Amino acid sequence: MNAWLQIFALDFLVAGAALVVLGLDAVGSVSGRVLGWLTAGLLGATLAASFVLELSGTAPHGVYVSGAWVLFFKRLFLIAGILAVLGSIDWLAERTPRRQAEYYALMLFSLSGMMLLPGARDWVLLLVAFELMGVPLYVLAAYAKTDGPAGEPKLGPEAGLKLFVTGSASSAFTLFGLALVIGTTGETRLSALPEGGPSPLAAVGMLLVLGGMSFKLGAVPFHMWVPDTYQGAPTPFVAFLSVAPKAGGLAALSVVLLSGWAPQATIWAPAVVALSAASMVVGNVFAVPQTDVRRLLGFSGIAQIGYVLIALGAGTTEGLAMALFFIATYVFTNVGAFLVVHAAAQRSGGHELSNLAGLSRRSPWLGAALLVFLLSLAGIPFVVGFWAKLFVFLAAWRAGLTGLVVAGVVLAVLGLFYYLSVARSTFMADGTQAEPVRASPALSAAIAVCLVAVLGLGLWPAPLVEVASRAATAFMQGQ
Amino acid sequence: MSPITLAVVATLAPAATALLLLVLFPLRHRGMPAAWVTLLGSAISLAASCKLLVDRIGGAADERAVVPWIEERGRAMAEIGVQLDGVSLPMLVIVGVVALCVQLFSVAYMHDEPPRAFGRYFTLHALFLFSMNVVVVAPNLLQLFAGWELVGLTSYLLIGFYFAKPSAAQAAVKAFWMTKLADMGFLFGLLVLYVNTGSFEWTAPTSTVVATWVSALLFVAVVGKSAQFPLHIWLPDAMEGPTPVSALLHAATMVAAGVFLVVRADPLFAQAPATREVMLWIGAVTAVFAAGLALVQRDIKKVLAFSTCSQLGYMVAALGAGNAFAGFFHLGTHAFFKALLFLAAGSVIHAVHSNDLGDMGGLRKRLPITTAAFVIGALSLAGVPGFAGFFSKDLVLTALEGRGGGAPWVMLLAAAFLTAFYMGRVLIKAFWGELSQKAEHAHEGGLSMTGPLVVLMIPSFASGFLGGWLAGQVKAEYHLHLGLTPVLASVMAVAGLVAAVVVFGRGGQAPGARILEKLDAWSLVDRTWATAYRLGLLGVASIAGWIDRYVIDGLMNLTGWSAIEGGASARRLQTGLVRDYALLVVVGVVVLALMGVLR
Repeated sequence: MNAWLQIFALDFLVAGAALVVLGLDAVGSVSGRVLGWLTAGLLGATLAASFVLELSGTAPHGVYVSGAWVLFFKRLFLIAGILAVLGSIDWLAERTPRRQAEYYALMLFSLSGMMLLPGARDWVLLLVAFELMGVPLYVLAAYAKTDGPAGEPKLGPEAGLKLFVTGSASSAFTLFGLALVIGTTGETRLSALPEGGPSPLAAVGMLLVLGGMSFKLGAVPFHMWVPDTYQGAPTPFVAFLSVAPKAGGLAALSVVLLSGWAPQATIWAPAVVALSAASMVVGNVFAVPQTDVRRLLGFSGIAQIGYVLIALGAGTTEGLAMALFFIATYVFTNVGAFLVVHAAAQRSGGHELSNLAGLSRRSPWLGAALLVFLLSLAGIPFVVGFWAKLFVFLAAWRAGLTGLVVAGVVLAVLGLFYYLSVARSTFMADGTQAEPVRASPALSAAIAVCLVAVLGLGLWPAPLVEVASRAATAFMQGQ
Repeated sequence: MSPITLAVVATLAPAATALLLLVLFPLRHRGMPAAWVTLLGSAISLAASCKLLVDRIGGAADERAVVPWIEERGRAMAEIGVQLDGVSLPMLVIVGVVALCVQLFSVAYMHDEPPRAFGRYFTLHALFLFSMNVVVVAPNLLQLFAGWELVGLTSYLLIGFYFAKPSAAQAAVKAFWMTKLADMGFLFGLLVLYVNTGSFEWTAPTSTVVATWVSALLFVAVVGKSAQFPLHIWLPDAMEGPTPVSALLHAATMVAAGVFLVVRADPLFAQAPATREVMLWIGAVTAVFAAGLALVQRDIKKVLAFSTCSQLGYMVAALGAGNAFAGFFHLGTHAFFKALLFLAAGSVIHAVHSNDLGDMGGLRKRLPITTAAFVIGALSLAGVPGFAGFFSKDLVLTALEGRGGGAPWVMLLAAAFLTAFYMGRVLIKAFWGELSQKAEHAHEGGLSMTGPLVVLMIPSFASGFLGGWLAGQVKAEYHLHLGLTPVLASVMAVAGLVAAVVVFGRGGQAPGARILEKLDAWSLVDRTWATAYRLGLLGVASIAGWIDRYVIDGLMNLTGWSAIEGGASARRLQTGLVRDYALLVVVGVVVLALMGVLR
């Protein structure tokens, strides 16, 4: 096979899928749930292909390196995409039967941008991939432009606009920072900065880039869009938005910091530690008083990103492996939680905590699934989130970030408070509504996959630890 | 079956039960079938444990089987498995016996609950037994911690079983938070241990400094779980749960897990004399303090709750004195007689429909079996010679001789007197004297209530004679000797009972009761924690909520308002809000850039 085709095969497949979806829509003969299932099928086929095809290799001049590291992320993105598409099928077919193609196509374009990220070793490629990931998300966030109670301001366009304005500002800073960095070296290679410590100008540039990229992660203080956008955007899309771009952001940050700027760790490491601490504090504290489940999960996500950054801040292979483990488990847990909330809200008319009241009676298995996801987010043993937190703490403690670990453990107890308050309304509160909640087959399938992953990996985390370790080791060895 | 298979069966049978009931919810919702399934699971678990114990008496050796749980680059980072030795096997049987008795008792006690609640109750019991067994058979601290956390979660659900009752819901939350707060110590202890030794084993060789840190951090968790001063306040409140739950959680299992942890991790604690010194004092203080408060409780269950705190104080003090066996022995006897006392109290409450000692009186005329059970439990708890509690308490007191300048020894002797005194008070108030009005129509519950009482009477009396055997199992020294301590302990027990007859037989009040009642009502420790909770968590939450509501939502509302006022829909999108957000991005980036310049 052609070398180019070999290393970019999956990216081509996803971009191709987007064109197929758009093309079919242009022909105008597709309706109902066909597009959704087609998209899920194409993504599934791509995922299957990732296990069959030989995909590793290096592009000329080393601008793109494909190996275990890249495959780890690509598979993760594909899984997140499949789960989100399955969760969206029925909602789209019912609410916006005529506009479905743009939703799926935009999601696929965003995915193809994400998939380019982890392998990029050149600023131009990295930045293009980053924006390709981000721009479709702005549109998708505003997708539910007419949703919401009549007579009240619609939250959809607002959600999109907030994401767009803050996102553009972040991109501008990234670009400005890059101008400074590249200006001092004259090269677009990631690792072009001199070993001995860059000029003050380049150092400022580096931190500007770090700030701009943290935006996608939703790390404090670049988090303000998170709760508002989660609240206003379509919930199945939020399930995607809350995990995939964050994994993408983690991939990009790892590539930039650990591959490109490893010798300059003294400059960026304190900033990562600061971002991590701020995210854990703000995320956990602000989640406590929330009554809208999506806002609550938004702040919880900010806190979780703080935990990922602990591991990244460690700067070691072990730390990176644990960050990968964390983000992979987070994908299943958070997508699952959002999809259950989505299913419940469909029948209860809202996303408030009170709308979840008595869910366990109205749908025992959805209630049980939500409980499992919440326990995982809270970090209770035998559910995967426990391992994720434990590993991150271990890695960071070994790397000497004791203070961050102490803060993390204390704040995790606070986390338990709000996760359990959601669980309490699900299980104990008596709701005003008694109508049974039923999830459609596609939605149920997505939730079931998440549930199996969270429980299975909770009992037996070894395989994922192994995979994450291998990916991190390969990455640190420059593959 | 091999010992390992048996141990796995003993651990997983309740898990299978719980899973079955969770998945097949029609079974759970029917109520009674759930009880039978749970009882079957517990019986299988107990049978397997008993077979193991019998084999061990027949000379079977220690067994340990682990599989790598988590591998990191080919090296086992943590293992999961079972460890069968002189500590875990007796504990497994103790837990199994008490759990089965409690579950059987519950069938009658919880009979009036609606079927769904009944089913939920037994599902939780199965889950709880599984969690506890995970703790007991754990071959390392990581698995023990996993079980420990599950015990905490399921006990939260059991204590808050009557969640519709606000006081019960509050008690559950309180129990959860107090223990959870303390559990942070466990997690930090694990981290320090692993980072310094590369394993989660309690036998890992390590320096005194590390051992001191790890043991001190673990002990914080023990203080929470085993309700030691000053984290003891959740235990009396936890009496809001169903009485059989108290019999299980607050006698043989949950609170005992803390003591069990120290017994297990003895090699670590042995290297940390400083931690042991602290344990000695905290145990002694708790023993006296809680015994004093038990004296003035009007609620029969609260007497037993404070008594549990006090007895756990004995165990912790013994562990602090460096005699892990004494603590473990007392843990075993206490598990039986305290479970018996709680179940007998449950039987009384079931008969008179009240927890208040004032509503009871003369019950021995109506409830002969319950009275017999309570008397045996009380005598054992009081430490009357010949009863189980005497032997273990004597061993604890002997272990304390000459430690810490002798003060802890004196304190525990005083607590022994108080124990006999407050148990005498309950006996006289509830079972002797005139038949009270509420007790007029009292009658014994069915066989499923009296049966467990009769079964538990046997070990509550006789388990003390097993001390020598148990000591052999854990390779500890144990021999009865006739010294000052056993004589004094016996005198204290008898004197306490006699004093109770003298004082309460005539309907009098304990000397100093007024002060103790004030102390109890004032509940300084409780208030301190409540204030800390309010200031800390709730304060932070309300400030965050305020910012979120008024600053963020306020801006949002302003946006809506301006849209209505302006009438132009375009203006709604031109929110000041987004500019603010973008401004924050700018500020954030500038701060980061400054970090770069000023580094």
